[in-house]
Amino acid sequence: MSPDAVGNGALIPFSGETNDSLAVYPLHHGLARPISRVALSWSRGNSLRVSLFAEPSGSFDTGDGAKVIEVKLGGGDPEIDDADWRRIAYGSVAPFALLQSRRNSLSALSKSSYHLDWWEHVLQYSKDISSLLTGPKLAPNPIIEDPNEIVTKNEEPTCLKAAWELMEIFYVDKQSQAWLPEKLVDWLADYDSLFTSTQETIHGKLVDFQNDLVNIQVIEDDPRYWEVMSSALSVGWLDIVVKMLRLHGSYQIDQLSKRELENGLVEAVAVLISKMPRLRPESAAGNLGECFKSKPDFTKAWEKWRSQITKLDCSPYWIQCDNQQTREGLRNMLQVMLGNTENLCTASCYWIELYVSHFLYIRPFTTGIESMYNLAQKCIQLKTPTGTHRLTGLMIGILAENTEVVIAEISREFGPWMVAHAVELLTSGSEEAEILLHDERYNLGGISMVELHRLAYAQVLSSHALTWQIAPIYLTSCMKQGMGLLENLLYRQSVQHNNLLLKNIEICRLYELDHISSNIMKVAGVYHWKHGRKGAGVFWLQQSQDTNCLDRIAQQLFDSVGKSISDESFKQWEGLIELLGSESKPAGGLEFLHKYRDFKKSLQMVYSGKSTDAARQAVGSLILLMKNPSTPQRFWLPLLFDSLKLLNWKDSPLLSVSETNLLLNKLQELSLARQRPHFTEPNLPPQALSSIRLALATNLGRAILDE
Amino acid sequence: MAKELLSLDNGTICSSWNYSDTRLATGSIDGTLSIFDLRDSTSSTSNSLRSTFKTKVHEGNIVKIVWLLPEYGDAVACISADGIVSLLEEIVEDSKPLQWKLCKTFGSSASKVLDVQFGISLSRLKMVAAYSDGHVRVFELLDPLELTNWQLQAEFQNVIESVSSFGKALSLSASISLNPQKGGSQESSFLVGFNSNTPELNSSKVWEFDQAHQRWLPVAELALSEDKGDQVYAVAWAPNIGRPYEIIAVATHKGLSIWHLGLNPDHTGRLSVERVALLSGHEGAVWQMEWDMSGMTLATTGDDGMVRLWQSNLNGVWHQQAAFEPTS
Repeated sequence: MSPDAVGNGALIPFSGETNDSLAVYPLHHGLARPISRVALSWSRGNSLRVSLFAEPSGSFDTGDGAKVIEVKLGGGDPEIDDADWRRIAYGSVAPFALLQSRRNSLSALSKSSYHLDWWEHVLQYSKDISSLLTGPKLAPNPIIEDPNEIVTKNEEPTCLKAAWELMEIFYVDKQSQAWLPEKLVDWLADYDSLFTSTQETIHGKLVDFQNDLVNIQVIEDDPRYWEVMSSALSVGWLDIVVKMLRLHGSYQIDQLSKRELENGLVEAVAVLISKMPRLRPESAAGNLGECFKSKPDFTKAWEKWRSQITKLDCSPYWIQCDNQQTREGLRNMLQVMLGNTENLCTASCYWIELYVSHFLYIRPFTTGIESMYNLAQKCIQLKTPTGTHRLTGLMIGILAENTEVVIAEISREFGPWMVAHAVELLTSGSEEAEILLHDERYNLGGISMVELHRLAYAQVLSSHALTWQIAPIYLTSCMKQGMGLLENLLYRQSVQHNNLLLKNIEICRLYELDHISSNIMKVAGVYHWKHGRKGAGVFWLQQSQDTNCLDRIAQQLFDSVGKSISDESFKQWEGLIELLGSESKPAGGLEFLHKYRDFKKSLQMVYSGKSTDAARQAVGSLILLMKNPSTPQRFWLPLLFDSLKLLNWKDSPLLSVSETNLLLNKLQELSLARQRPHFTEPNLPPQALSSIRLALATNLGRAILDE
Repeated sequence: MAKELLSLDNGTICSSWNYSDTRLATGSIDGTLSIFDLRDSTSSTSNSLRSTFKTKVHEGNIVKIVWLLPEYGDAVACISADGIVSLLEEIVEDSKPLQWKLCKTFGSSASKVLDVQFGISLSRLKMVAAYSDGHVRVFELLDPLELTNWQLQAEFQNVIESVSSFGKALSLSASISLNPQKGGSQESSFLVGFNSNTPELNSSKVWEFDQAHQRWLPVAELALSEDKGDQVYAVAWAPNIGRPYEIIAVATHKGLSIWHLGLNPDHTGRLSVERVALLSGHEGAVWQMEWDMSGMTLATTGDDGMVRLWQSNLNGVWHQQAAFEPTS
């Protein structure tokens, strides 16, 4: 395992066994001085932010003093790039959600969790997922077919898809259980090339041979021609073998010597190969071989076919064929078809190829996973692997029927996406795996392995800005701890961007997380309030029904009563009173604030226009305010001080005698109140009280004269 | 997959990310606080950090920065090497532009603040502060929109038997971790451990507020009887997303212990504790321990300069999952 790549899946959480050899990864920082301190912070999901601080140096221009590095842990399969991963992540949401909803509706219908046709739903799911895993398309096939083109492929195979299909074959596709060996043959045909990375393969040999083909004069004289053909034959690539046989020199018309007999033998083998009976419903269009669905039919055809091979093998024509290469090559192929272990062993490159050849030529009736496992053991002994491939571990785990090993393998090699989605395959129809994976464990904090792996996958999704929004789908399928993690995830989303904020609130609404959305809205409210967007602040605080903060804001509005405020801030203040509305709890206080706003408004008109009408209106408001019992006593003096201009109105006294008396009485009350403890002096100039008294007295005098 | 996010000035010695990982606050040896903002948190490719504010908070080192909870705005507490905590918040006041403003300081040279943490309980913001004289003080914010008004709610020493008081206690460091549960209306609990010359103060204890008697009570002690005097380097309370028990990590010179803490008190009001693992890894002191948001992975760093990750396997056995070694 390369310690350089953190993303290679080595940090997949929750492997079954404990690794004794600890993986140590370098963290490159490029700082010149030694590190004196490290700080950690988990970001969302499984991304860890590490700050590395260098020892401070005396002079201040010695370059960077610290680095902040983000490390994403356990990303998954290095074979697939980030963008492709996201495509797969998004694509798998719908099949996953559909399967969950089917499970829920089925379990609502009946108590038993085991359904006979459940595997059909899982198969559909498996096919949907599998279609996502298709690698990048290669260049389209040329229009004019190259006769020398032996190996063709339309897409780049990926280990991920190979692993997925392997699990589908063994766990899900119940219909094909009877011809499971043939499924393996097809699987190997699709994915043999993947093994080329760690060992020699038949596919690799074929490709090499094809590359050399143009340089070969007489193909049948090249020993590799025969070698490659018997290899391809051993794993059942009949089309390729027949195509290669037809490249044999004896087919060419301009022959120097008579080669009819030789050609006849080549063609006889080609015919036998194309007539090979296969125990399978049908093969892909155009593929050679004869398919039989039922065992008796197949057995009959198989016996007949083998007797034809034996007959040809004993034929006297071989002696008359004077091309030794052709004779030996063809007879070797007949031995492969007759299932000669030695020939099969030589023809195949590694144990899975040998394994598949056993199914084709020796034991086409192998059934039962146990005998398949024993056969695999035998093949491994015959062909000791030179290197380990990520797919072989999985295959052995499947054959050994060890669900834990399978989980550990796919988790280590393919990452959390694979495990979270593949557990559906593992549990389909196997009650044993179902119990193992759905059993709630105290050691895991009371959750099942299925839930654990979904949580782990959701963590991976959460750590990326483009995928966190699909994490809730997986989290809500977790019965025990999904909601808890979802709450933490939502709580950690920034409220600064309105779009994101609305999205978060929408997710909360979908999953009925009212307390979280209320919290998010409160955070948004305080954020806007503190950042000077008071209106947005009040709006969000109201949405979150945070009476605590709203009360405080109302209180702050009270505090500006009586202070001279600029037009600008008055507008803001007025807007806030509007926003707070009358629904807010301190209703009495707000009633006052609304009245005070009216008073302030007309007072401003007085200051700007000096119209007596406006002044009269202002006086009306003032009297209303002073009469109203909800007007706090502490505001009386500031209100009167604000109204000094009205009290001293030049043209005529604006207040009647009784009105003036009311105000004077209030002043009297105030001077009594001042004797009591806890009285707070309003923040007014020292001469305020006397100037109010004087103004009121003057007004009273003028009013008496007027009446 | 490691990616560099930012380079910082010479002399920077601490950093802290806010709740949404979009703002970074850093402190340096000359007492400067810097704030960096992610330009665009929604785009994955171009998340570059830019400096948005810089101010000198204090004369000496800033050794630790703690963000307040986002419910109370964008604010940080800067702890200086000489034990002063300065609370700063980003705010628009009157018609002035947006700026960071100092709103409160705690601590003095006589009684230094070693660590602070913030939490919400009973819908109020609480600040738990650990002092060099072994005292823990809990402050309460009076006005949710003003970070200037704090009231001392409680003061006690980190000892089980409250009758004894240790006047001459001297602590080098302390570590506080609040129960990270999000239920703001409930009374919170917290965990504190000291690194002091007074053995009785050291061991990590879980404190819970007793409504009936209006005081904080120790409900659990996270140390085996023979380890009670061990100096505590760091404590970390794991987020609990649904486990039937709490998980707490405590680091002492003996190693890293993982504790299970019961959820329900026994008849004496104590919570059951069980040490499920004692792990060794960092040589010497542990600087910091952080749980991920699921409470399943613990990240630690310490004197050996390594970053280590710890997990429990399927059988509940804790082990070191991976380590990172800084290299230039």
